[in-house]
Amino acid sequence: MAAAVSATPSGSNSAEQDALKALTFQRLHPRTYLERFVAENVRPDGRDFGEWRDISVNVGSISTADGSALVRLGSTTVVCGVKAEIAEPELDRPKEGFLVPNLDLPAICSPKFKPGPPTDEAQVLSDRLNEVLVSSGVVPTSSLCIEPGKAVWVLYVDATCINYDGNAFDATLLAMVAALKNTKLPKARYDEVRQKTVCSRKNREPLQIGRLPTSYSFGIFDGTHLLADPTSFEEPLLDTTVSVVVDENGGLTSVMQLGLGIVGGDDVLSKCIDASHDCWQKGRRDVYGAS
Amino acid sequence: MAQSNFDRRRINGPEESFLPIFDSDEEEETRWKPGNPRIGRGARDIRPIFLKAGLINQANGSAYIETEKTKIACAVYGPRQSKSTTYNEKGRLNVEVKFAPFSCTRRRVPIRDAEDRSVAVQIQQALVPAVRLELLPKSTIDIFITIIENDGMEGCIASGSVAASAALADAGIEMLGLVASCSAAVVGKEIWLDPTEEEGKVSSGTLILAGMPALETITSVWQSGSMTPTDAIKCMEACQERYMDIHAVAAQALLQNAQNT
Amino acid sequence: MSSDIVLPGQPIPIPRGPMPHVGNGLYSRDGTVRASLIGVPSYAGSALEIKRTRPRPPAPDSIVLGLVTRLSPLQAVVSITVVDGVPLPAGEEFTGVIRVQDVRATEKDKVKIADCFRGGDVVRGLVLSLGDARSYYVTTARNDLGVIFATSEAGATMEPVSWQEMRCPKTGKIEKRKCAKPEGM
Repeated sequence: MAAAVSATPSGSNSAEQDALKALTFQRLHPRTYLERFVAENVRPDGRDFGEWRDISVNVGSISTADGSALVRLGSTTVVCGVKAEIAEPELDRPKEGFLVPNLDLPAICSPKFKPGPPTDEAQVLSDRLNEVLVSSGVVPTSSLCIEPGKAVWVLYVDATCINYDGNAFDATLLAMVAALKNTKLPKARYDEVRQKTVCSRKNREPLQIGRLPTSYSFGIFDGTHLLADPTSFEEPLLDTTVSVVVDENGGLTSVMQLGLGIVGGDDVLSKCIDASHDCWQKGRRDVYGAS
Repeated sequence: MAQSNFDRRRINGPEESFLPIFDSDEEEETRWKPGNPRIGRGARDIRPIFLKAGLINQANGSAYIETEKTKIACAVYGPRQSKSTTYNEKGRLNVEVKFAPFSCTRRRVPIRDAEDRSVAVQIQQALVPAVRLELLPKSTIDIFITIIENDGMEGCIASGSVAASAALADAGIEMLGLVASCSAAVVGKEIWLDPTEEEGKVSSGTLILAGMPALETITSVWQSGSMTPTDAIKCMEACQERYMDIHAVAAQALLQNAQNT
Repeated sequence: MSSDIVLPGQPIPIPRGPMPHVGNGLYSRDGTVRASLIGVPSYAGSALEIKRTRPRPPAPDSIVLGLVTRLSPLQAVVSITVVDGVPLPAGEEFTGVIRVQDVRATEKDKVKIADCFRGGDVVRGLVLSLGDARSYYVTTARNDLGVIFATSEAGATMEPVSWQEMRCPKTGKIEKRKCAKPEGM
């Protein structure tokens, strides 16, 4: 084919130069950069303060997991898989199974995370997710009993972030609940003679799902501005983050704070709760789909 | 078959839990038996490859690859400053591999083990000859690979190498050429390309070949299990015939991504 | 044209005539010129190259922007965040060092680091060399190099008054810095 060479002059065009200048300013003075956008009532990515990024949920594509989901919240991408194993129940809770959720924020998803054991951030998020899943009763642990005192299901709900652009909490809760809703367990029976549980490969039953919570996280900037669904650029500049969890009927389940700053007053919390309910009403209520 | 590690940094389950034991089987009729032809595809057919570059926007370069039930995400960060006390005239390539806990039949505990390390070393060996590290003194390139679903370790290593090479090119790291890689297994008297996990189990030996088709150069050959030298050569030739197609898929994906930006 | 994009390893057809100098993003092996980057080859003078658009590590003669992180009587340590106009991703800074003899061109032996830089200043410098294992060697010994942004003790952004002084707009106080000549002067 013809020579793939173009003889363009080596100067880059001025639109590229301006873009680089803006990026340089953002890199050197991130706080001032954000302040200038906020003063115009908009955020660096063009969103309004109360606007969430687009969400997409795909379930069931991982055959090695008993249930799975891939969630994209803007560019933040979280994959969650549920693996079911069998264990002896605790002595004082002979009819209860186990739900073990964990979120991993590995080095692949952001330059901020280096390889190694879970950071404080990942640990706190896993803890909070555990609280929400348990306290909102997504999967009643009594439904995981195979044989009282002998065998119960353990559901390992493992989420891994593949791309981190802020707000891992909302994305991960979505992924975990969607994966649980997608989970099918093999029909199990306890064989008294062999003292073992035997499962059927062919018969699988969907998991009993109790509740379908969704969460709404807001960052507080400069004490007064509420920024919904913060990005990874905005997060380090926030005073603190407030997350509101709402159940499938729009009822409030919990409100939690992630971070050390001051929340700033009652009206901030009620604004968050109202905004969350609004978002739930406008479409989030159907995010888990019909199936 | 139990897992028992208490990790205070994570939410923990009970001390011991076991993989479900299944009824004997419901599967006997469909299982492959020696002497039968390969189930589902021809002996020299590879699984169709889907590759997309640039999905991880937080990284300098990235690629996602899917071959039926093997799904791998790869991100490249760097060149970064090497955290080394010695002065390195050539850059370093650091590969880290993580299996997601739900990626294999048996749940994998998140602690890194020898298998992760061994897969990383094989991928690194396939890539290093292709990267112009002499242009990056004092720098390190970090390649992070997450295996989301695993259907055959050989396929993971081969596909991981292809994804990593595409991610490196996407990241603007200078390379001599794109790396393609293909795996083969000796099953009875036949050579099967791109074995799945099940097929790997019934094989007597496997071989993974990696190289740069554009330069007609091989960068790494890894053989495991047992096979005659003749079979090993046959595996290598079969892999070389196919890995041009794999290179074309990667090239197409990178071109598409470059045209869209 | 988008069909002109080449990939690493792809041979580049050379037009007849003298062999052009093989520049950035290309290499020559066994008489064939091949690409080592994704891009469109173009001419920069008499050299054929593929432009690098990604963030790149500092190289000798690169213009860098960095944040002063540590001071000692002999040097200022900077965290390099922008190289040749391209910002590096967050968390991927390179370490540079401005030694006392590289601060300015005149009266090198009379330099007091504390009168030239303070922690938190943004400095424009030129990379002298790859330095040692830990840092790149950076110089500010030119009119257009030095501090481009600094905050006063009162917390306001200062304006340069001369090549060695900056003024706080809030208090009017003068602080000493080795300033870069502002653009357009």
